[in-house]
Amino acid sequence: MPSVLQTIVEKKHYKFIDGKGITWQEAVKLSTESLVADGTVAPDFYEQINACIEKYGPYVVFDHNIAMPHTQENATGAYKTGIGFMVSKNLIYFGDDEDGERKEANLFFTLSSTNPEEHMSNIQQLAQIFMNDDLIDALAKAETPEDILEAEKNFPCEEE
Amino acid sequence: MAKLDGKKILACCANGAGSSLMMENAIKKVMTRNGIKPAEIRHCPVSEGKTAARNYDLVFCARTFAKTFEGVDNLILLKNVMSDKEIEAALKEADLLD
Repeated sequence: MPSVLQTIVEKKHYKFIDGKGITWQEAVKLSTESLVADGTVAPDFYEQINACIEKYGPYVVFDHNIAMPHTQENATGAYKTGIGFMVSKNLIYFGDDEDGERKEANLFFTLSSTNPEEHMSNIQQLAQIFMNDDLIDALAKAETPEDILEAEKNFPCEEE
Repeated sequence: MAKLDGKKILACCANGAGSSLMMENAIKKVMTRNGIKPAEIRHCPVSEGKTAARNYDLVFCARTFAKTFEGVDNLILLKNVMSDKEIEAALKEADLLD
């Protein structure tokens, strides 16, 4: 079975941006564009994600400047299960957390889910990736799809 | 018998689709590593979790949602929802690990 990163490359679910001076709302929208392109999500899918982040705060931003924007299961406008991968050269500011710590992201894994099993497998693999500091560092520097595959080859996640 | 054997555990996030699933996986990892056999581990959105909490022995959620769960005493708040190390440390602190 291909890994989530291989699937991202295969389906062209990636985007590389400069990100200077854009808002997190714009960034989330950009991160869904590769998913919109092949009909994985509707063009206005990002609005639901943004509404969710506005409601609950920047909890979708994890350590190491990783953002995993998503909405609830079976959201309207999600047609297939997929991950919109995006690297931004500049950090994008989402807000402060409850400790007053700045939440910023340069690596986006935006989720669309219609198939629970596939989604579960995606999440499990993403959790492995998010804990793999070397891989995350390499992915944050990626500028091409080849760089994504190269990063995974150099810093594979341990099999569970 | 481990303290958490046969207990029911709930993981909550805003949507019940992303981070709570990550949390559930991390919790399962901790349980397996410590030889604990809980009766149930599941995840759900906070909107459901608030009322569901009383049916569970232990509820995990991200610190962002602390306010939502005010008054729930079997709550464990996490900073990093996918960190099995943080979950393990929190359980130790709550004296729930053997």
